[in-house]
Amino acid sequence: MQAPPAPLARLRLPLAVAILGLACNEGLQPVRAPTACPPGFVGICGTVRFRGALPDSTQAVYLVAYPTFPRTRNDLFNFVPLPPQSIPTADSTYFYTLGIPTGRYEWVLAAWVKQGFTTANADTTLREAGFYRDKADTTKPGVVSVYGTGTDSINIVVDFANMHPISYYFPAVRR
Amino acid sequence: MRILAIAPLMLAASLAAQQTGIVYGTVRDTAGKPLHQAVVRILSAPFTGYTNRAGVYRLGAVPSGRVTLEVGLIGYLPIHDTITVIAGDSVRHDYSLLLGRVWTSVSFVVSPLVVTAAKRPQSLQDVVPSVALMSDSDIAKRAVNTIDEAVDKAPGVQFLSGQVNIRGSSGFVEGLGSRVLLLVDGVPANQGDRGGINWDLLPVDDIERVEVVKGAGSALYGSAAFGGVVNLITREVPLGFHARLRLTGGAYANPPHSEWSFRDFTGVHGGVGLTSSYGQDDLRGAATVGGWRSDGYRQQDHRDHWQLAGKGEWQASPDTRLRVSGSWASDQYQEPLAWCERGRCEDRGQAYQPFLIDTGGLGNHTRSDKGYLAAVLARTPSERVHWQARASWLRTHFTDFQPRSRDDFGVADRFGGELRGEFRPDGSGSVVTVGAETGLSNITSNIFGGTHRQGEYAAYGEGERPLGRNGSSAQLTAGARIDFLTIDGGGLTAVVSPRVGVVLLSGAGIWRASAGRGFRAPSLAERFPDLFVNGFRVVSNPNLEPEEAWTLEVGHARSIGGTARVDAALFWTEASRLIEPSVDTIKTAVDTQVVIQFKNVVRARLAGLDLAVSANPLTPRLSTTLGYTLLYARELAHGILPERPLAFRPRHLVTIGADYTVGDLGVGADFRYSSRFERVELSPPSDPRVAVKVLDLRAGWARGPASLRVLVANALNYLYNYAPRTLEPVRTVSVTFVYIY
Repeated sequence: MQAPPAPLARLRLPLAVAILGLACNEGLQPVRAPTACPPGFVGICGTVRFRGALPDSTQAVYLVAYPTFPRTRNDLFNFVPLPPQSIPTADSTYFYTLGIPTGRYEWVLAAWVKQGFTTANADTTLREAGFYRDKADTTKPGVVSVYGTGTDSINIVVDFANMHPISYYFPAVRR
Repeated sequence: MRILAIAPLMLAASLAAQQTGIVYGTVRDTAGKPLHQAVVRILSAPFTGYTNRAGVYRLGAVPSGRVTLEVGLIGYLPIHDTITVIAGDSVRHDYSLLLGRVWTSVSFVVSPLVVTAAKRPQSLQDVVPSVALMSDSDIAKRAVNTIDEAVDKAPGVQFLSGQVNIRGSSGFVEGLGSRVLLLVDGVPANQGDRGGINWDLLPVDDIERVEVVKGAGSALYGSAAFGGVVNLITREVPLGFHARLRLTGGAYANPPHSEWSFRDFTGVHGGVGLTSSYGQDDLRGAATVGGWRSDGYRQQDHRDHWQLAGKGEWQASPDTRLRVSGSWASDQYQEPLAWCERGRCEDRGQAYQPFLIDTGGLGNHTRSDKGYLAAVLARTPSERVHWQARASWLRTHFTDFQPRSRDDFGVADRFGGELRGEFRPDGSGSVVTVGAETGLSNITSNIFGGTHRQGEYAAYGEGERPLGRNGSSAQLTAGARIDFLTIDGGGLTAVVSPRVGVVLLSGAGIWRASAGRGFRAPSLAERFPDLFVNGFRVVSNPNLEPEEAWTLEVGHARSIGGTARVDAALFWTEASRLIEPSVDTIKTAVDTQVVIQFKNVVRARLAGLDLAVSANPLTPRLSTTLGYTLLYARELAHGILPERPLAFRPRHLVTIGADYTVGDLGVGADFRYSSRFERVELSPPSDPRVAVKVLDLRAGWARGPASLRVLVANALNYLYNYAPRTLEPVRTVSVTFVYIY
């Protein structure tokens, strides 16, 4: 013969629900700014160092990557990620994380964008501000590989005093 | 002066009536047909009334307190309902009677009347699609400021930063292109430009109940009823003079971590609303004025809201009624568009600051005015015929003030009209509903390509026929609607939306099955955007076509042991040509450009289980509810993209509610769990995605005309976000006092 349930037994279910509710409070938490690619991240990470004075006409500075180095002006828009990711310029250095798919990238660069930019006036409002450089020959872009995880130390120096317009790479075709 | 002169007379009449009240309402059959000569009587007192040809009854001078009503008519099964009559007040109760062989003394459960599923009154048990109801007491006990905060607790419904989802229909697209249609007393109220919904269009105290019809409803409602329909039904104006005062105030919790603190004071909110009404048998009117202001729970989140609403009814004859209603709301609010990520504010070394905003958006604020005006003329010339005509005007006007760029504005007018008839060709319970509807949207905006106009012209019909066999009864419903859409006077597009359904009532409960088509016409904002996002132009796509879906549903509802009710539905939706923003490169004669454009690109599948349980376990004082939605939402492979989860849809959505009442006191709680989104869009890598676990606690006291309620929303102060970089509300304490005269 079973003993009658103790008074507390009737409270088991509500207590269990209350404990469950209180125990599961793990929503958004403070996260220190990263200094390396976070676990599970796919893309590239590194430090951007800023030199020179930020132009007053700055709209944004974007980080983008090209699977192949652009051969024509039209190739300039074959970058990832779409839409591009802008980076803050308030401090002298910034550790970035740029989510891009697994693959090989021949040009990872910072693009400076002037206020009033549209794709139609890119010649005057879009400039290369710095790129990841080949460690053996720093005049050339460095090739970056992403293998389903984060690739660290893709560092870039952005020199606002030495930026290059599109015509630097692709002189205008005389019509 | 005249008002002052008649005031003592009104007061004297009110005092004389203080020990009694008035009970009135309608009695219909389950197909919505008014029942003539139905008997409505108070069991404990000699009060008996009969319905007129319109099915309307009225019992005057009913003793105050709890009384039991019996409603019956030969040939129908009677209903017994226990109601509360407040001295000096009038209370409305509508009933539907089920066909039965004999007049017995057996009591049957009162089945609520709904008006949205078939565009006419019908018993909930006869409804083909799944319907969730939220009564005024459900709304009142949650002590909310806007109705979306209460509707969010309905099973299968989820709000993502103000964008309503029914079974995962809409996802999140910054308020653009809602796949749910909002009705106010049956009048379409989606914005004319963006197709979104202003949930603060109506004062929350003016809303008597909310009906949520799940699944494609385009066979009756056309565009936007792609994933479902939400109908806000305003209060009937009671007889006599009445007033309702609502005061509310409260505070927001501060950030739980010192790294996230952003102000040195506690944010508060408060508001006031006053409704007064006067009603006679033939003429009634009500007006509401009110407003509220809030400091918000994060940086740059202050909001002021002012509101005016009114409603008038004229019973021109026993068969003819004219109703005019309107509302105007004005909001001035700051725009906390996106929370701050590292380097974009005083980040204190944090990867993100959810209570701070990106400095690029500092100073942004909006003025938003919106309102509607609607008139409905309804006539019931005979028991077999009812028709109504409706005209409506909805206006929205916003201005986004942006100190760091140009200001944006938009003005949208949406004019609507509808003529609808209900016909009962014989006495068998068959009903045929036919109608024609038109809508015209005019917009002028600097971000939606100047001035544009969209026209919608539709005709629809639906028939319902009862079928009886072997002691069970079934009802077959079939109908279709054809919509013609025009843009700027041209580009005619036609969409046909059929629906067929069956409801089977048997001793084992109610079975229902339906299949129907839903569609949504592109909003003018999706078709003609003209703005820049991060320097990339969002370009128009005049060739955008309506998105479409087929929905199949099988549902079952039954009572268990007299203390519980279960409603379960399996649903399957195949959607095609879904409209989504697409980042793309386009080649022009001169060069290649990167643009953002809305396109018909996505095919999707949304399937799952929608379960709703209500029960009174252990004791009648305890009422509990459970809602569970299992959602399988996949974006099917298209182009070079493989199949993947649809963005912003949770796999599991659970809502648990409980209320315990002792005398004048009541306590309750709601718990909402939403599993982590499998996929989101346009979210930075640092944007955390967490499951949602929100607990709301409430307590209330009500005695006579006064009630006091305390709500602690998000009591655990669980921090989470749905939309990218947008913190959802933190713990908020609200105290609401309501006095009804």
